[in-house]
Amino acid sequence: MIQFFGGERATYLLPRDKGAAPLDFVIAVMAFLAALSLGASLVASRAAHSWQSGLSDHITVQVMPPDDGDVRAGLENETQAALSVLHATPGIAHAAPLSDAEINALVEPWIGEDGAVSGIPLPKLIDAVITPGEDVDVARLAARLKQSAPHSSVDDHRRWIARLRGLADAVRFSAYGILLLIAGATAAAVSFATRAGLDAHHEMVALLHQMGALPGFIARAVEWHYFISALLAAALGTVSAGLFFLGAGGLETFGVEAVPFLPPLSLRWDEIPWLLAVPVAASLIAWATARISVLMVVKAIY
Amino acid sequence: MVRFENVGMRYGSGPEVLRDVSFSLEQGSFTFLTGLSGAGKTTLLKLIYVAEPPSRGLISLFGTELATARRKDLPAIRRRIGVVFQDFRLIDHLSAFDNVALPLRLAGKKVSDFSHDVRELLSWVGLGERMHARPATLSGGEQQRIAIARAVVARPDLLIADEPTGNVDPEMGARLLRLIAELNRLGTTVLVATHDRALVEATRGREMRLIDGQLVQMRPTK
Repeated sequence: MIQFFGGERATYLLPRDKGAAPLDFVIAVMAFLAALSLGASLVASRAAHSWQSGLSDHITVQVMPPDDGDVRAGLENETQAALSVLHATPGIAHAAPLSDAEINALVEPWIGEDGAVSGIPLPKLIDAVITPGEDVDVARLAARLKQSAPHSSVDDHRRWIARLRGLADAVRFSAYGILLLIAGATAAAVSFATRAGLDAHHEMVALLHQMGALPGFIARAVEWHYFISALLAAALGTVSAGLFFLGAGGLETFGVEAVPFLPPLSLRWDEIPWLLAVPVAASLIAWATARISVLMVVKAIY
Repeated sequence: MVRFENVGMRYGSGPEVLRDVSFSLEQGSFTFLTGLSGAGKTTLLKLIYVAEPPSRGLISLFGTELATARRKDLPAIRRRIGVVFQDFRLIDHLSAFDNVALPLRLAGKKVSDFSHDVRELLSWVGLGERMHARPATLSGGEQQRIAIARAVVARPDLLIADEPTGNVDPEMGARLLRLIAELNRLGTTVLVATHDRALVEATRGREMRLIDGQLVQMRPTK
């Protein structure tokens, strides 16, 4: 015997529709896409923050080789002078020159890796870290550095930060836009599926109404059915998206190298709970659509 | 119990299918509604079981004027009426037991309180062995018996039956009529629409005859 009331409630008055599988599939796919775009927006947001914080607390001092005299000695002297100035500057927590190996690695993509460049004097780079919360007057620092090391220049990455911020914002807001579009399409798909299902049960709704069932009773009989169906389908889609992000995080294990500057596609564990919003939202949309639709159907009947 | 005053009914902008119908059904009465197909019997029944509002005139049920009743009061009125629909209107995915028990569940009763009554009623209509069957697996006559059992199970104040014996053999028809008569004896007002003259003549009660949407005759039977 079918225990359709689940106790004294009309929770399962509706049968599981034979034709519901394609609609569940649509909901699952839309939830998958929504979870993907939500995850992408989280990754973009995290990347934007990381890029910004990674550069904003650093200053790079570049010391060019002098044009005449003993180039190497002059370069070394000016580098040491610049370091002295940096160490004496309030707000600079740490300053150290990049090793020759690090500088060679930086220029390697442009002029090759072997010792072909060993004879060419390369500029010295000093990486200075600003004490968190401190502010350094870069213009004054640059002027003082010029006095001690005439061939030095200061780059506070402001231009890069602005460009990266612009790029990150574009990525982030694009992801939000896509997320909104997919959320809207998901809501429409869930709503459509719910209404289509209700059309098939119009006679039963009318019969219950005729037998004196209250609108709230009929709505409860229907709304939980669609709530649970949408929840399960959307959970399936979301879990698939979650597996995608986990899989993307494991690609390096299989030898796929990460692209420099681009963030890893994987989500952190503390970001995963955000994906739960997708099945919750999908099931709530289905629940609300079903309830409103049933109440409208009942209201249209005398 | 039921009172009609100059009731008229038309669907949309079509012709009137009921015209100036006035009558009253006393509590505990047994009435047949007769007339040819298209005379307006089903429409009249729909007005009584509150499925449609009349185009004009006044309808009073259980002392409540429907025209002035609040919408939220109508479900309680409908729950006092048992209806045997001509097309049965059983819920396909529910068993015979659950279909019959539906009015009791709507009334908020617990399975443990009504399970015995439902089983006994299903046995009375000859479906004790098939109470777990779905309607689709039952014959038209068996479906009709479930529809009748569902209409009477909550002992409604008013029972309306549209051709309740149309799909069963004479023996089962007589048995079902005895069930309805027993309910009537316990105080339920009964209105049965039928083409079956033999049924009308064999039962003590009244006959209302409809011709072209007008009530033309009201006479005692038997």
